[in-house]
Amino acid sequence: MKISTKGRYGLRALVDMAANTDGKPMSLTSVAKRQCISLNYLEQVFGTLRKSGIVTSTKGSNGGYLLKKPATDITVREVLQALEGEFTIVERSAEAMQDPLQQAIQTLLWDEIDAKVNALLEMRTLEQLVNEYKSTIDQGNEMFYI
Amino acid sequence: MKISTKGTYAIEIVADLAIHSDEMHLESLKNIAARRHFSEKYLERIIKALKEGGIVRSVRGAHGGYSLARQAKEMTITEVLNAVEGELAPVACLTEKTECGIDCDTCPTRDTWGAMWKEILSVTDSVTIADIVGYRTKL
Repeated sequence: MKISTKGRYGLRALVDMAANTDGKPMSLTSVAKRQCISLNYLEQVFGTLRKSGIVTSTKGSNGGYLLKKPATDITVREVLQALEGEFTIVERSAEAMQDPLQQAIQTLLWDEIDAKVNALLEMRTLEQLVNEYKSTIDQGNEMFYI
Repeated sequence: MKISTKGTYAIEIVADLAIHSDEMHLESLKNIAARRHFSEKYLERIIKALKEGGIVRSVRGAHGGYSLARQAKEMTITEVLNAVEGELAPVACLTEKTECGIDCDTCPTRDTWGAMWKEILSVTDSVTIADIVGYRTKL
């Protein structure tokens, strides 16, 4: 059980973009370089983020991407939902018929995990990730000067 | 990211064994397969992994069969899943070295994946096979 490449790289790139923005549209080239992700791939990922209303894009020589709303209003849950779909720990089976043992497993385990993980992802905002990211970079720089 | 059907079936099999076997009464693959509607072949593959993981034990011979290797109330879901699925980490880089191109210390997302993993483990570590069996009886 793993988060897909799209989810991993997409969230990472979005945090990078939000952390390095100066309010103007940002080209994906710099994000791609800093995060070591191929530009082609990032363009696909940001296309998906744009369709989901998380970023907007402008064309032209100074064009690029911007967050569509403040980073405090963007939850990790909605980013992952856009890139991967809703988080569920097991595939929801089409056949609703479950025997008592399967029902017990569903209730005690899968429903519980889904609720806890989704609550966590809902609570985490892009802004939080940006702040965490900035502080790790600052720490790295301080260590460099020592 | 999903727990595979193999993982789900493994929990069903171990819970089924907890209900239908004990140290003195072993259970046959055939009966488990019939109750759980699995093919015996598929069941064999999963039970082999469970045996290697120290979750079930087997005795050969005419009266042979399977039972749990330990008490159901001391067997967590994490242990059962680890036997068939490996680690439950949502991303590989939490448990092994990966080539993603950047340094883990400055990764913008690693903490989030780690927090997610912790939530998953908080459930699978605290629920035992006995809990599942107990809940089922109440239904």
